[in-house]
Amino acid sequence: MKTGNKNKEDRIENFINKVIEPFESFFESVLQYLTNILSFALIIAVGLVLGHVLKFLSLRLFRLMRIDAYSERGEITAMLRRGGITEPLSSLLARAARWLTVFVFFIIALGALQVPRVEQLLEEFFLYIPNIIVSVIIVFLGYMLSNFLARAVLIASVNAGIRASGLISKLARFGVLAFTVSMALEQLGIGKDTIVAAFTIIFGGIVLTLALAFGLGARDAAKEYLESRLRKSEEPKKEAKDDEFTHL
Amino acid sequence: MVRAAQAGMAKYFPDMRSVVVNSDGGSTDGTVEAFEEAMVEDFNSLFIPHRVSPLLKIYTPYHGIPGKGSAFRTIFEIAKELGVKACAVVDSDLRSITPEWIDLLLSPVLKEGYDFTAPYYLRHKFDGTITNSIVYPLTRALYGKRIRQPIGGDFGFTGELAKFYLEDESVWDSDIARFGIDIWMTTTAIANNFKVCQSFLGAKIHAPKEPSSDLSDMLRQVVGVLFDLMGKHEEKWVDIEGSEPTAMFGFRYDVGLEPIHVNIERMIETFIIGREELGSIWEAALPESLIWFLHSLKPSPWQDFRLSSEIWAEIIYYFAIAYHRTLVNKTHLLKSLTPLYLARTASFINEALQCNATEVEKILEETCLRFEEKKAYLIENWE
Repeated sequence: MKTGNKNKEDRIENFINKVIEPFESFFESVLQYLTNILSFALIIAVGLVLGHVLKFLSLRLFRLMRIDAYSERGEITAMLRRGGITEPLSSLLARAARWLTVFVFFIIALGALQVPRVEQLLEEFFLYIPNIIVSVIIVFLGYMLSNFLARAVLIASVNAGIRASGLISKLARFGVLAFTVSMALEQLGIGKDTIVAAFTIIFGGIVLTLALAFGLGARDAAKEYLESRLRKSEEPKKEAKDDEFTHL
Repeated sequence: MVRAAQAGMAKYFPDMRSVVVNSDGGSTDGTVEAFEEAMVEDFNSLFIPHRVSPLLKIYTPYHGIPGKGSAFRTIFEIAKELGVKACAVVDSDLRSITPEWIDLLLSPVLKEGYDFTAPYYLRHKFDGTITNSIVYPLTRALYGKRIRQPIGGDFGFTGELAKFYLEDESVWDSDIARFGIDIWMTTTAIANNFKVCQSFLGAKIHAPKEPSSDLSDMLRQVVGVLFDLMGKHEEKWVDIEGSEPTAMFGFRYDVGLEPIHVNIERMIETFIIGREELGSIWEAALPESLIWFLHSLKPSPWQDFRLSSEIWAEIIYYFAIAYHRTLVNKTHLLKSLTPLYLARTASFINEALQCNATEVEKILEETCLRFEEKKAYLIENWE
């Protein structure tokens, strides 16, 4: 009789355990998840505070380094103004330092959540980061180079007395920018073949258009130009016909 | 040129030993052969009866950046190695050089105790516009010495000064190695208190200019060196007020100069294109009032086009300040000066069209005085 009771108790305990176990497991999971969320929130909070401190310190450092004056001289300020950004470069960089810190802490915090899918996405994202950095650098350098070359072309063509100097300069800028964007997109692996093909077609098209425009549309001008060039090479002394004085 | 140098040495310095150096950038046009063969054959026809020692000639290709400055550096080095008392440098394409030039460039150094002889030429009133509108007025206003042709290119100087020129090694990688050498030599001599004088050489006639010589590049090199030297010798020019004449040697006479053709309309057109397109660069250097004034200038009729010497002096000083503070890329800033320079040149030609040489010198004197008057503004805004 005693044995029968014991078995009954065991079964009841077993049943209770089986009922409670999922609850316990659920409770543990919730507790674990809450701990993760708490870690996530804590890391984010630390990131925000550290970001704020870093912004303050880097702003002081950049101002001490007179980075605004250098950016003014290096035409970075003018470039930013053209893009509608009126904030000084020191402030921009300080803000970038802050948000970069927050971003890094956010990534660390996401890892603390221990969600497998998120972890996989993070891994992929980290592998992609170098491409993004290289692309940003390409775009930045390309933009700077396009500005520099456009201005150099503008000055040279103005000094040569060419009326369409502005247009020539814009074409130079557009050419460099188009090349830059295609390089950056290629680096990111976006539409690799399409971009190369598109760039080739556009570039080839421009050259063909110019050749046709010059050869057909401005046939007389082309003829005169070539004739004058040939005549000049045959009679070098005629070069000084317009201005015969020496500047030095 | 070699024969003129040989005859000049034989006639005016018979007791001294001399060397003629051709510092060449690798000519393939027969310069080397011409240099080797050149020799005075009949000294009696030049009234040189005494025995003449044979001429020692050195032909050497120079190294470094291609340009006149690198060629001069080689000459300074040879002068230093030989321990010469005096040295004269002349352009190899001169058509108007005579044996007297050697006397006029070297005698102030060898007989009068000067360290540096600058040339004084008679030139067509429209010739040497960079000299007349920028280099002479600015050098005079800054350093207080009236040297009419600071970038004449033909100089006499002591062996000691040649050694001094070699002391700063860094300059030979800059525009000084090109067109900037002349203004660098003159300014270095003045700013370092060497005794400076001028010699009247008569007319200066060159071989026809090379078509490839680019005005914008020439202007950039000369003005760039001038502005760089302003920064280097700042403490030497800030306290100088006004200017004083410089000793002049040689007999002054008039020469007939052939009329030359100028295209004023093209100069004004380049200025107008520059005004439309280069606003962003000019605005970084010039104040709003000047920009507004430049926009108010009417291009036609071209005979009435004027850009006064007062405004011109202001423009040059504003550009010097912008260059010193690096407000814009320096090369772009200097190259953007070309349309403004052409506007001033067009204005000057209009002013001087009916003037004789004396009247033209008066116009230039006025320009120099405006530069001297405005110098206070330059000092005030330099830093």
